[in-house]
Amino acid sequence: MARLSFPLRATPVPNGVEPPPPVRHTGTDFDTDWARSQPARVARLALVEGVMRPVMSLVASPAVKGLDRLDRLDGPVIFAANHHSHADTPLMLTTVPEPWRHRLVIGAAADYFFRTRIGGSIAALGIGAIPIERTKVGRQSASLAADLIGDGWSLLIFPEGGRSPDGWGQPFRGGAAYLAIRCNVPVVPVHLQGTGRILRKGKKLPQPSRTTVTFGDPLQPGEDENSRAFAARLEAAVAVLADEATSDWWQARVRAHAGTSPDLTGPDIGAWRRVWALGDRDRRAKRNRRHWPEL
Amino acid sequence: MSNGHLAPRPGFVLDVDRSSPPVLFHHGEGFRLEKLPADRTRVIYPAEPLEGLADPDGAIRSALLNPLGDSEPLPALLHSGMKLTIAFDDISLPLPSMRRPDIRQRVIEAVLDLAAEAGVDDVHLIAALAIHRRMTEDELRHAVGDRVYDAFAPSGRLYNHDAEDPDGMVVLGQTPHGEDVQFSKRAAESDLVVYVNINLVAMDGGHKSTATGLSGYTGLRHHHNVHTMLNSRSFMDRENSALHASNWRMGKVLRDADVKIFQIETTVNNNTFGREGPMSVLQKREWEWSPKDRAGFLAMQQGLKLMPSAAKRKVFSSWLAPYELTSVQAGEVEAVHEVTTANVYKQQLVPVEGQTDVLTMGLPYICPYNVNSIMNPILVMCLGLGYFFNLYRGKPLVREGGVLIMGHPTPWEFHPVHHPSYIDFFEQVLADTTDPAEIEKKWEKQFAEDEWYKHLYRTSYAYHGAHPFYMWYWGAHALQHLGRVIVVGGDTAAVRRMGFQPASTLQDALEMSTDVVGPQPTITHLKNPPILMADVT
Amino acid sequence: MKALEFRRNVPRFAAARLAGSLTPGRGASVGPLHLADLDPPTAPGPDWVRVRPRLSGICGSDLATIDGRSARYFEPFVSFPFVPGHEVVGDLDDGTRVVLEPVLGCVSRNLDPTCDPCATGQLGNCENTTFGDLEPGIQTGSCHDTGGGWATAFSAHPSQLHPVDGSFSDESAVMVEPTACAVHAALVADVPDGAIVTVLGAGTLGLLTIAALRTFAKPRTVVATARYPSQRRLAAELGADLVVEPDGIRRAVRRATGSRAVSIAGDDGAVDRLSGGTDVVVDCVGSSASLTDAMAITRPRGRIVLVGMPASVSLELTPLWHREIELVGAYTYGTETLPDGSTARTFDLAAGLVRAAELGRLVSATYPLHRYRDALEHAAAAGRRGAVKVAFDLRDEKERETLMEMSK
Repeated sequence: MARLSFPLRATPVPNGVEPPPPVRHTGTDFDTDWARSQPARVARLALVEGVMRPVMSLVASPAVKGLDRLDRLDGPVIFAANHHSHADTPLMLTTVPEPWRHRLVIGAAADYFFRTRIGGSIAALGIGAIPIERTKVGRQSASLAADLIGDGWSLLIFPEGGRSPDGWGQPFRGGAAYLAIRCNVPVVPVHLQGTGRILRKGKKLPQPSRTTVTFGDPLQPGEDENSRAFAARLEAAVAVLADEATSDWWQARVRAHAGTSPDLTGPDIGAWRRVWALGDRDRRAKRNRRHWPEL
Repeated sequence: MSNGHLAPRPGFVLDVDRSSPPVLFHHGEGFRLEKLPADRTRVIYPAEPLEGLADPDGAIRSALLNPLGDSEPLPALLHSGMKLTIAFDDISLPLPSMRRPDIRQRVIEAVLDLAAEAGVDDVHLIAALAIHRRMTEDELRHAVGDRVYDAFAPSGRLYNHDAEDPDGMVVLGQTPHGEDVQFSKRAAESDLVVYVNINLVAMDGGHKSTATGLSGYTGLRHHHNVHTMLNSRSFMDRENSALHASNWRMGKVLRDADVKIFQIETTVNNNTFGREGPMSVLQKREWEWSPKDRAGFLAMQQGLKLMPSAAKRKVFSSWLAPYELTSVQAGEVEAVHEVTTANVYKQQLVPVEGQTDVLTMGLPYICPYNVNSIMNPILVMCLGLGYFFNLYRGKPLVREGGVLIMGHPTPWEFHPVHHPSYIDFFEQVLADTTDPAEIEKKWEKQFAEDEWYKHLYRTSYAYHGAHPFYMWYWGAHALQHLGRVIVVGGDTAAVRRMGFQPASTLQDALEMSTDVVGPQPTITHLKNPPILMADVT
Repeated sequence: MKALEFRRNVPRFAAARLAGSLTPGRGASVGPLHLADLDPPTAPGPDWVRVRPRLSGICGSDLATIDGRSARYFEPFVSFPFVPGHEVVGDLDDGTRVVLEPVLGCVSRNLDPTCDPCATGQLGNCENTTFGDLEPGIQTGSCHDTGGGWATAFSAHPSQLHPVDGSFSDESAVMVEPTACAVHAALVADVPDGAIVTVLGAGTLGLLTIAALRTFAKPRTVVATARYPSQRRLAAELGADLVVEPDGIRRAVRRATGSRAVSIAGDDGAVDRLSGGTDVVVDCVGSSASLTDAMAITRPRGRIVLVGMPASVSLELTPLWHREIELVGAYTYGTETLPDGSTARTFDLAAGLVRAAELGRLVSATYPLHRYRDALEHAAAAGRRGAVKVAFDLRDEKERETLMEMSK
């Protein structure tokens, strides 16, 4: 067989010349703009409403609380939620209320979701993901997020950076806080409870379990607040929401004012006791709704 | 086309002439368009809804921190280890029920947040329903919100007032007129009672919130009686109301008994059916209905014609009003109430000159005592001769000896769970006599003391045995004032049982009224929805 | 002699039953009852006398017979063909006016010794109503030999007759027999002083029972059911404190006794069962519905007196058993023992009550014999048409005079 010659075949780099830097298409360089075009959005709408919603109500039967706290918000916001499992994203997508639900992008881990072209395309189209670094938001992803927010898109981000390994929270990174300050938009803290049981880290098949999504009062960055302080405030807010979800609103307020809200990261004790302590966190009683016959 | 972004227009009086359109009348779960006779009828139109406050939560917080009258700001009154009781208005307010979040939810969460900050542990929340029916879980959740409900109800710290609990009620003393002041024991023993009120009409609020809401039969009988109601002209006008004079006397006894009350009163606008949306046509003036409004109204009429009454009730009772908060003030009871009353008048008061021979009104499907229930004939009488007749300041809209014509289907139907004592009242008491004074003398005691009614009030969702009597007394002044009462479109047997005259159309009713007031009578029509109060000079 | 005769005729009987079930009283037109010209009655025995009726009442039991509704129970106690009519005031040949006590006991049947009940004056419990010199028949009006009141003449034994004086009107006299039933029922009821008693049904029997209870007992409250406004008015006049429609009786008894409702049936809030109840119920209707109501409103260990003639009823008896209720029948009359220990004939007590309460006014309408169809339909619809007692008026019958002539 005759060897093909240039230009039918690429030619190797000649000696003595510096090879140009490779153009990367994965990770944070993954281009997701096409996933925000009209046809892609319609497809995503069909997927979210037609498939995800029924599946989530079956698998997660979510109880959504605190929606009234979002009444006075206008314009794009950043939703910051705790992260336990892959079920978190579809759960958020199906419970975030209008008008934000269908103009929402998800900050997804660049090195996990956008590692391959295919994986990245699915993430971008299916959940409207944009690549974001886990630990510290880089310049590229930050400016992308800022541009999107400026265009009216809302952003869902998991400030922990990744799913919790053992059910307790991990410390919040500063990405959400940084973006909120830079784009001057409020941050809505959200607490998700019960998703850890649905798709635990390491498991493949989802197991039905009841979940609670609690939306908190929006937080605005202060006049001179830096992102670290704001991030701490955000983490504290989600901690209070967690307290609200597991005990009740009043006790959460009392502890919040006293500064004794239970830490999201859990007690500083050994592994099995941490898992044990997670056990008594779910309560939801059945309610007898009918007190007199229909007349 | 409603006013959109222009300032809301005040109420006014329209003199009907030949070119005036027919007027929309409420008719229970339905509507009628009635043509009123030209050149001798005036229609009083309510004001358009005032704009609600832009930041309700902020306004509430500000009110708590900047109280009126002789009172410290709320945070100063809260401290760790104290006994706090938060009492709130029950399901009879507002009407119809408002959309979430209910005003009470906003206020109670703000109060509780301050209490949490102060480290208060012992908090009880009481639905101050006097001898109304208990509220269900769903109704309480709607009023105070899920967060507060889930935090306090499971541990038994959020509950309905029980006026017949022998261990839960105390008599704190007598007024100089010898009226017993009966009060909730928990509230009496608290370091602070915070009352969360919604002032829908000028009758609500002030000392009445606590002196009536947390009282029981022993206290209520001193002002819920025929003599007091005959001397309340009207009970929407506090200055001229014996009902309020008595409650104010009782409020003084409460103060002297060292019951510390922090009163939080709110007013809402009269945006009952919304400025936009499918029901907004009902609050618009007839000549301003757009083609869309007219088509929508006709479609609604058609739909209603085909529905059975149970289905109609369900549809109407599921409507939640988009009321907006127009004012909130907190602090000392009387100072707060002055401002509140001024705000109520600002929305509702319409100046009217003189009286007429006839007063007409279409009665809605809802009154304070049939939320999620059935409006029985006694409640129709209370709504018409009690509430609507008394929505005046100065003089009634109709002259003494005149005729009241009200429209309502008045079904001979009673809700067996909510109104068991009403059934017996209608069957036995009204068959005997319809004179309020006779009824009070002969029958009230046995109904008030009936063990079964008490049992149902305490354990089921029933109004107290004495309650139908209060409904009848509410119309005592009207019964004395009027020459005749005619009900249009009502069940004839039920209307006759109450001592009124049935008529099938408004025209017939006006004909019948000429027997009493002479030919060509002058007519006032009180247009509703939404609510208004006439300032008659 | 003109008389309404009831003949044994099975197809007509069936027709009467059908007609009567469609329109009460219509059995008279198609049934075995017909206006006949019969031979004047022959005396069944030497003591017997002839009575020429003046007024003859129509009773509920007569209507039941005519509409084919009577229980088959009574068939052995009836001899066909017979002339109905047992509520009678009439003239003897010597001009004395008498009221008939229709029971045919041992004495009238010429039986000696008499049965025990007859010996003590409890004629209503006579054991020998099918034996002796007469054909079977519990009373005049169901016996072939004696004839009955719906005729211009019949035979009576002296023991059956009670003379009345001139001050007693015919209307009052014809009310004595039904009043006697009511008096007997009131005394069987044995109402304790200060008790609450309920009377179900405000037809003739119910209204008379109310009057009897007020006279012969000292109840605290008398509750009555009445379907029609005229009945309600009369019930209140005769002494009922609380009169309600039959549907509302359970609620009314709950109010009157201050008890609680134990369960509420259905969506319309009907009160189903009471924790307490009335001390005594006198059921003057005798239907499944009235007996069920009676059991529901009687207090534990209370008493139900069944006065209205029942037919075959189907009942759930669990309440009777559970609440230890006494169910006792009250049939006609005889001799009563009053609370103070004295005895008196029921008829005498009844006559006194008729006079005192002016019960003659309860005769609402009278008809001549030939208009018997109208009379029976009116009697069957009495309540609805605002009437109480309907009677045949025989005073204008020309025959009465000719019969007198014949006897001379």
